[in-house]
Amino acid sequence: MNARAVATDVLLGIVPIALLVALWQAIASFGYAPASLLPPPGLVFTRLAQQLLTGTFQHEIGATLFRLFAGFSIAVILGVTIGLAAAASPAVNSVVRPIVRVLAPLPKVALYPALLLLLGFGHESKITLVAADALFPILLSTYYGASMVEQKLIWSAMAAGTPRRQILFKVVLPAAVPSILTGCRIGLVISCIVVFLAEMITSTEGLGHVLVTAARTFQAVDMFVPLITISLLGLILNGLLQAVRSYLLRGFPEV
Amino acid sequence: MSTLRTVLARSAPLLACLGLLGIWQVAALMLSTDSFPTAWEAIRAIPSILGDKEALINILASLRRMAIGFGLAVLVSIPLGLMMGRNRGVASFFNPLLMVTYPVPKAALMPIIMLWLGVGDIAKMLVIFLGVSLPVIYHSFQGAKAVEEKMLWSGAAMGLSAMQRMIRIVLPAALPEILTGCRTGLVLALITMVTSEMIARQSGAGNILFNALDMGQYDTVYAMIIIIGAMGIGLDSAFEKLRGKLVKWSEPGFDIPLSFA
Amino acid sequence: MKQLPSLRGVQAESAPARGSATAMIEIDRVSQVFQTSGRQSHLALSDISLTIEDGAFVSILGPSGCGKSTLLYIVGGFVNPTEGVAKMKGRAIAGPGPDRGPVFQEFALFPWKSVLGNVMYGPRQQGIKHAEAETQCRALIEMVGLKGFENFYPKELSGGMKQRVALARTLAYHPAVLLMDEPFGALDAHTRTRLQNDLLNIWERDRKTVLFVTHSVDEAVFLSDKVVVMTRSPGRIKQVVDIELPRPRRRAELLLDPRYQKYVVDIERMIDDTSEDELRP
Repeated sequence: MNARAVATDVLLGIVPIALLVALWQAIASFGYAPASLLPPPGLVFTRLAQQLLTGTFQHEIGATLFRLFAGFSIAVILGVTIGLAAAASPAVNSVVRPIVRVLAPLPKVALYPALLLLLGFGHESKITLVAADALFPILLSTYYGASMVEQKLIWSAMAAGTPRRQILFKVVLPAAVPSILTGCRIGLVISCIVVFLAEMITSTEGLGHVLVTAARTFQAVDMFVPLITISLLGLILNGLLQAVRSYLLRGFPEV
Repeated sequence: MSTLRTVLARSAPLLACLGLLGIWQVAALMLSTDSFPTAWEAIRAIPSILGDKEALINILASLRRMAIGFGLAVLVSIPLGLMMGRNRGVASFFNPLLMVTYPVPKAALMPIIMLWLGVGDIAKMLVIFLGVSLPVIYHSFQGAKAVEEKMLWSGAAMGLSAMQRMIRIVLPAALPEILTGCRTGLVLALITMVTSEMIARQSGAGNILFNALDMGQYDTVYAMIIIIGAMGIGLDSAFEKLRGKLVKWSEPGFDIPLSFA
Repeated sequence: MKQLPSLRGVQAESAPARGSATAMIEIDRVSQVFQTSGRQSHLALSDISLTIEDGAFVSILGPSGCGKSTLLYIVGGFVNPTEGVAKMKGRAIAGPGPDRGPVFQEFALFPWKSVLGNVMYGPRQQGIKHAEAETQCRALIEMVGLKGFENFYPKELSGGMKQRVALARTLAYHPAVLLMDEPFGALDAHTRTRLQNDLLNIWERDRKTVLFVTHSVDEAVFLSDKVVVMTRSPGRIKQVVDIELPRPRRRAELLLDPRYQKYVVDIERMIDDTSEDELRP
């Protein structure tokens, strides 16, 4: 991919967003919608910039990020461990498989009321929900990656003197990393979405809470701000994950 | 001996369900707080919910909204995804837009949409439409992209026009992937439906759930959770069967049943 | 299906019997049956007995599906024979180990490790200290002709280069026996001939025992001291041909040597006969 193609891609990609913003501006300035319902983009972005500098808003972002990371990390640790175990041991597999088949299509957000009852309205219920939702894609992609490891890789390692008990960590895990990272990417997006939603439904802090508060007081501008923030957060986190992925997978052929 | 094994294998999900319910039962008995009724108590509350006309109408209304939102989304997203898959320009045009909207939970748009469209059905269906669109577009895109160039060349050599090639070659070839996207979209539709109702609090299954929560009717809360969960599992299984019939010819792909909120 | 004789029973043999004092590998009446998915069984190898002397370069030659790779995997300890036993230096082979190093057709390099990382894997596994292992391995990488590529990743290498790395990786842990499974099968003809030459040069240095699986008659004759011709599935040994051509062998000379040509023609005829047998009703 030469530089020219990349440049055209980027330019082309900005167009729809720019068009949308222009459309937004047009609707607002031509008065098709009252400012209380659809504030002009300029106003929204200045408000966003203002908020980003305030301590309270930063605190809200912090709360959301904390829950996001905590839930995501738990999902990664559990997902990778269980996925590897299921790939390595048929016994574990036969227990895990049916449970996953039952729990995966369940809308876990339906469990949220139960979590609220059991864990209260603070961080714990949100973190648990995030972990529960992000767990399955990571678990499944770990399992998939681990069970698809090329047999000859394992044989080469065994012939080089690796005892059986070390094969899981020295060969299977590294070979499964591309798949695991794909699952993590999905899990990360899910974490962003879930934490925001959970905060919208019941919370005393966090970006979702900011949105709901603004809605109650009919402050349209303040409603756009957290939405744009979570979108930006998602983009940034995804970008970070991609960077980590590029580094970890520098030896792997492009899929 | 092998028949016992096959019987066990087939009933494994059912056994898993029963196992999970069993764990719930034991845990609830051990904790014995009001806010955590046992599985049995929750199950007992189900018939009274399903029997209550009002509640039933609510639940069916939820399903109706979901179906419409899902249907429209699929109708719009598949062609869009296919075009993106075959045309780099179209893909580059829409990709960033999609990436920007991805992390935003569509149900979170509810308050804003409610400001514009009120609290009614349309707001919720719109949100479901948006939520389902993304995975369907994405998977259609991937599926179309993966169609072998040589198949299309053969089609062109046979005299098919671009549109015909799209419908008669790209669409069927990409169908397995598209259906994976639809499966994800289905789960998303259910979730978006429930969450939009939790936020809009006007009618529907999610509304019943949170009303019960507010009024301290914990049995009902958990019973609704089971009902919604069962809907999710039921829809997913039904879809899987349909998918199996539609794409009998494809290799069983390892699709990751994604769950979004 | 007869079970393997108990391992304990075999290892209790104090001294290797018969004239196998110099035999590196002994394959004793080995058969291999595979269960296919339809609950059917497939006889891959039938009653194979073979002795391989220390320092011999032996090729196993046969058409596709004759079980030659399976035989190699049994010697490597990756597969357990359904019947019979394979022994190394008189002791039954119970699993893979650094005394029998494999080189696979698919290269099987660790994609997450660089060239140097791959080659150093064996020595590090054996507890050799990092600095020392690195020096040894750099020398080895130079010997296989890849000096300067130590920090490259497998995906950045051509097929021929990957196979060189695979060879270096196996040689790094000094196996007594090299097990090569159609190592040049995935390479183009030109790279293949170059690697055949390089392999012989490397082998001349310490004359390890080599078991080389191939379906190419001229490759087998060019490289080996002995060619074991196998029949089509179920694989049996049709004949063992001693290749009495002088070493070191140069391709240009050998191609014009009538003895070489006769070997190739005779063995090809042998294989054709084999195929014809199977086609007859």
